[in-house]
Amino acid sequence: MRRAIACPTGSQTRLILCAAVVALFLSVTCLAADAPQVQFDISHIGPRQMEDVTGRNIPRDWGRAWQTLAVAFEQNQPDLLGHYFVGFAQQKLAAAIAAQEKSGLRTRYIDHGHKLAAYFYSPDGGAIELHDTADLEIQVLDGNTVIHSERATLHYIGLMTPAADHWEVRLLESVPNF
Amino acid sequence: MLRLLSATCLAVCLCAATLVAAQQLQVPATITAGSGFAIPTTGSGTATFYLVGPSYATKREVNLGTEIQVSPREVRSAGRYIAILRHDGSSESGSFYVLAAKPASLSFLAHPSRVPVAQHDGIIGVAFVFDKWHNLVRQPQTVDFRLQAKDAAAVSQSVRSRDGVAWTLMNSGRKAGNMEFIATLGGVEEKRVIQQVASDPCHLQIKAERNPKGVLVETEPVRDCSGNPVSDGTVVTFTATDAQGRSTVDVPVKKDVAQAELKLAGPATISVASGVVMGNEVRVGGQP
Amino acid sequence: MKLAVVLVLATVALVILGFIFPVHQATTPGIVSGEALPGVGGSTNTPEAAVRSLLGDVQAHDWSRAYSLLANTSDVPKEAFIHDVNGNYGSLRTFSSLEGSRTRVLNENGDQALVRADMHWSTAVGPIYDVRELKVVRDNGSWKVVWPLEKQPNVPPQVVPVNYLRWDVIYRGPQDDWGTQNVDSPQVRIVSMNAVQNGRNLVIVGEVVNEDTVPAFVDINAILTGKNGQNLDEESSFDKIQHTLLPKQVSPYRIDFPGYNLSQVKSVRMEAKAMLVPASADPVIAVLNQHEQTNVLGRKVLSGDLLNESGRTVNIAQVLATYYDSNGKVIWVSDGYVDRALLPQTPEPFSVDMPDSTVGQVQSYRVTVNHYIRQQS
Repeated sequence: MRRAIACPTGSQTRLILCAAVVALFLSVTCLAADAPQVQFDISHIGPRQMEDVTGRNIPRDWGRAWQTLAVAFEQNQPDLLGHYFVGFAQQKLAAAIAAQEKSGLRTRYIDHGHKLAAYFYSPDGGAIELHDTADLEIQVLDGNTVIHSERATLHYIGLMTPAADHWEVRLLESVPNF
Repeated sequence: MLRLLSATCLAVCLCAATLVAAQQLQVPATITAGSGFAIPTTGSGTATFYLVGPSYATKREVNLGTEIQVSPREVRSAGRYIAILRHDGSSESGSFYVLAAKPASLSFLAHPSRVPVAQHDGIIGVAFVFDKWHNLVRQPQTVDFRLQAKDAAAVSQSVRSRDGVAWTLMNSGRKAGNMEFIATLGGVEEKRVIQQVASDPCHLQIKAERNPKGVLVETEPVRDCSGNPVSDGTVVTFTATDAQGRSTVDVPVKKDVAQAELKLAGPATISVASGVVMGNEVRVGGQP
Repeated sequence: MKLAVVLVLATVALVILGFIFPVHQATTPGIVSGEALPGVGGSTNTPEAAVRSLLGDVQAHDWSRAYSLLANTSDVPKEAFIHDVNGNYGSLRTFSSLEGSRTRVLNENGDQALVRADMHWSTAVGPIYDVRELKVVRDNGSWKVVWPLEKQPNVPPQVVPVNYLRWDVIYRGPQDDWGTQNVDSPQVRIVSMNAVQNGRNLVIVGEVVNEDTVPAFVDINAILTGKNGQNLDEESSFDKIQHTLLPKQVSPYRIDFPGYNLSQVKSVRMEAKAMLVPASADPVIAVLNQHEQTNVLGRKVLSGDLLNESGRTVNIAQVLATYYDSNGKVIWVSDGYVDRALLPQTPEPFSVDMPDSTVGQVQSYRVTVNHYIRQQS
């Protein structure tokens, strides 16, 4: 039996397109949730002094990097790391995600903010070392079961280098203290 | 009554602390990257062991009452690890830090790739110290920076790293040419090449000679104040002013000299400049 | 955050409205420029009509009809006439079209007349105005134009050796480790900056030098900061700069801020961006016989000749003129495109405006040339 296939009419097409556009914007809005709060301290920076624009961009990009990391680890999507992580930082985090996915695990980071201090800014402006005190809730999930949950203040050493229009994280290491 | 209340509170707290302690896995506070260790367990039966770290995660079945072996391969990346033991729906956990091993590589950033001669603090060297698994070595290390030019004595500086970074500023030499900039730590060495280039032209001088076609203007060999010839391709501007107006031509230096033929019939004044440096002026008479 | 949500919702609403209520294509409004030229086959019963008829044929690209309106066809080959009007050698004129023109009879005497044609050409880089005074003669009752073709000197066949320096660049690859040496961007420096009010526009002029030993592709940005500390606007030098600078080469720049006044501005932040690019020191273009004069329209101009000293054609040349006051400060930068190609060893005249506001203040000037060569190897 030949079944007639009804092609959408002009007005139906418009409505479908409208719905698609709305859905796209809503999904973008959801993804573009607020990055975590980052307080930035440059009082001990050296040897290079920080420029105004860099002083705004570093905490912005650090926050966005953490936001990206949280989503990537919760959804086991290492591809999300590419924009804000580079080099060995990206490789290690991607390896962690691959390993946890293989084991059926996920890690959820609930970010309560960062106190970021600039420690070293190279004289040519090509690299910056940061000390981050992060207030995090970390949950480890096996499937949908939370097997571990903690809230902790953790210390991180980060290294950021400039890309075309933002700063990227080249090193992210948790340390017991500064 | 008050004493009884205090004693009861103390007893409750102690019990709670004991309970909490019982739920913590016994793991070392810190270990060195690439060093395996064992986690003791108590009880009987099987449990599920999880290890989550900066670049690693694993899940495996273990027997309670035996030691859980954590292999060196599992703890190569520096950072915070969480070890979890899950049994009958409840979890015990512990966290520990992996610290970097001994230095094995340097990430050496040298700037700029071209530097004018005789520039104070013109050369920047920054070295980040890593172990063999690319973990930042925070323990202070001594990094030697050395600038070596051909036919010149090497200049060295030793710098103690702090939190994995050592840096230095050094002066460029007086002679143009390539230099090796080397950062060394123990048996680890990284080399970069810095090109020392001539500075701005100094004592720019021209001479002019009339010929049937016009006036041939030529510079003396163009050198900087240290005597280095400027790079070929450096632009020299010749300007001639005569009764017709002003004529200019931008000519690149070739083999130390810039030359132009200006079509000038009558008397003229010719001057020269390169960048922001002005040279001398010469006057030429009209064609005979 | 609230603002972001409002903006997203407003965008969504507008997109939905656009789909539901599409706007039909409106007719393009005509752009009136000068006098409309007659269509093909216009009248030639007066000198002015003959010139306008000729220009109408040029606008319509009816070369045969236009050529038939010339009085001196024995002196002007058809090909030469077409090349003169329509351009050749990939010049700017070949990318242009005659938008309109104004004509005025300067004098008329029996069978001869002189008509000024003020032509407005629309080009890829903006409008270009070409003024010609055309002699018109009456021939058998109809007026014809004596076309003023300038005979270009024949450059004798020759071999011109090219041994100027050329730079190529090998960059660091994407797979190279962090810390692996790369070639640095060239060092450029803004040597002067002057903010000038030009009518209702604020203009930033100055000079930039390539201090490095390698070629640089340079652009200058300026950001205006208002009295309250907020950024008012940001503009770039666009084409009012010699973008490719060889070592130690100096270029003027001009950045226009339409509609802004100096009194609104607290400070100007300048940014010089330089990129390492392959380049060649060839061709060398001399700027000869620079002098100030008044053109036929009564405007002060800086004129001269460009001489391409190389052996290959420069398709499009742009002249940048820097004007200095008695203190050596840059007070204006003007530019103009030459709509004819620069043939090897052949002088080509140029002329750029000198604004009225600067005429009394100009103590000296400097001319530089930007060039574009098609299919550069």
